[in-house]
Amino acid sequence: MTTAVSGVGALAAPARRVGKLHREGLAAYLFLSPALLFFCVFLILPFIFAIVLAFSDWGGFDLSTLKWAGFSNFGDVLSFDGTFVKPILVNTLLFAFGSVFLATFGSVLVAYCIDRLSFQGFWRVLYFLPVVATVVAIGNVWKMMYQPAGLINAVLNKLGVNSVGFLSDSSYALPSVTVVHAWASIGGAVLILTAGLKAIPEMYYEAAEVDGANSWHMFWSITLPLLRPALLFVLITQFIGGLQSFALIIVMTGDGGPVNATNVAAFEMYQRAFKFGAWGTASAMAMVLFVIILAITLLQLWIARRRGEETS
Amino acid sequence: MKRRGKFPWFAYLVVILGGVAMVMPFLDMVMSSFKGPGEYGVIPYKLLPSSFNLDNYREAFSQLELLRLFRNSVIVTVSVTISVLVTSSMAGYALAKLRFRGRAVIFRFILATMMLPPFLLLIPTFLIMLNWPLAGGNDILGRGGDGGLTTSLIALILPFAVSGFGIFLMRQFMVSLPDEMLEAAKIDGANQWQTWRLIVLPQTKPVAITLGLITFIGTWNEYIWTLLISSSDPSLQTLPVGIQLLQSFLDPDRTMPIVMAGLVISTLPVLVVFLLFQKYYVRGVVLSGLK
Repeated sequence: MTTAVSGVGALAAPARRVGKLHREGLAAYLFLSPALLFFCVFLILPFIFAIVLAFSDWGGFDLSTLKWAGFSNFGDVLSFDGTFVKPILVNTLLFAFGSVFLATFGSVLVAYCIDRLSFQGFWRVLYFLPVVATVVAIGNVWKMMYQPAGLINAVLNKLGVNSVGFLSDSSYALPSVTVVHAWASIGGAVLILTAGLKAIPEMYYEAAEVDGANSWHMFWSITLPLLRPALLFVLITQFIGGLQSFALIIVMTGDGGPVNATNVAAFEMYQRAFKFGAWGTASAMAMVLFVIILAITLLQLWIARRRGEETS
Repeated sequence: MKRRGKFPWFAYLVVILGGVAMVMPFLDMVMSSFKGPGEYGVIPYKLLPSSFNLDNYREAFSQLELLRLFRNSVIVTVSVTISVLVTSSMAGYALAKLRFRGRAVIFRFILATMMLPPFLLLIPTFLIMLNWPLAGGNDILGRGGDGGLTTSLIALILPFAVSGFGIFLMRQFMVSLPDEMLEAAKIDGANQWQTWRLIVLPQTKPVAITLGLITFIGTWNEYIWTLLISSSDPSLQTLPVGIQLLQSFLDPDRTMPIVMAGLVISTLPVLVVFLLFQKYYVRGVVLSGLK
């Protein structure tokens, strides 16, 4: 690259540039190679495999016995005679909607209140503790508190209420685990909502104060509308989490009992696959749940966008 | 700080009542871990134990084999965290600072990887690990062996070794690093690897702490996959799975107190790490909320 004769120089410069870009591209792909290789093996391949399995009839581990089954797995899974649609999918939706409602309501209230206090960092860490703890700790402690001789029944008895079989009574079991899931997810939502609150300009509140608005008015007409992006993020991520989470349910009830009262779709998929080796049915369940998650997420985005257009 | 209105007594009431609800279960966990035989599960309920001796903790170490579980948890968590940090910063650097064909497509692909829920890939990933070629007695087509990759701790590390979220976080941070710095390194004769290793890496310390912490806590607490892999080989259990599954083998008079002692021990490391670096963690959660 030392001797560029006058006439060639004009051509050599772009050529050298292309060479440099080429080398940069090579370097880039080398830097990316571990990640790309990983995603091929642990994302693309399993994703394709998941789709194939949902449409096939297969038990055991020998791939050569895998047979194409069309939509029959979906037919089995979605038939109303089975347990998957009712109660399992219904439970899944109740669990997700219930915990999202409780956690969102709770976290908006708490985040709004913390924002008005001193020692904000301390409070936020306090609410974040359950997010740091393992699901085994959370599940077992709450299971213990829900027992007839546990803390919660002791408090109820003090108040003159009879003991409740929180996890053993089939009409209380699902609400009981839903509350725990909501309790555990408040902390993360508080953090995100706090960031949203901090982004609202102080002058809006000052102007409202001059106009004589009380804090209730300010909350409804300033805080809540301007909090919408953070709130939407919280809602979407909580829904996605709530619809697929079952670790807490395994820990607290063992088998989704009493009699399927706390069984949810992802757990049923897990059991069908790894207890009974029914890969096809289990994968069809996974697909159904995936489509539901996708639909609910898109629906939320759509509603948020429409609402946004109405007000702006 | 927004100080509107008079003394916010309502806000204090809400936050303190909620705070009690947040802390009470953990308090009950710690107190129960000291309860002796005949003190737990009796009516009337008492929060405080009769004495604070460490019997249950001793039992937890012997009956729950905490040291073995601890060792597995540390190996898995440290390996996953290091792997995620290295691969994320490498891929993040390429996506943020290098020009190459396909960059936009790959970045969009990385974003898409975060949309696939883990439960969907659970069954196929398990089958892939089981039929991994040339591992655990398998032949080149992944047949014939007993267990493939599922019989070693690698099974708990490999499927978590790269994180789409990590790459995204690193890329977003590295985009804001000044190009002049990298140009200067190049003029001084550094190649891409040296630029990444000596110039870029030291600059990414804050975001690396955030990502490391999120990965550390997530891996330490991981439950479903570990439960699945260790169901056929209990020697692979980590702290959460081991404590959950070994419950049925405990002294029945004191099962829950010993379990609580085990849980206190297994929660402490994450709690300490979290409290030390909570500023970084908080920022990471907030950053992830702004994508």
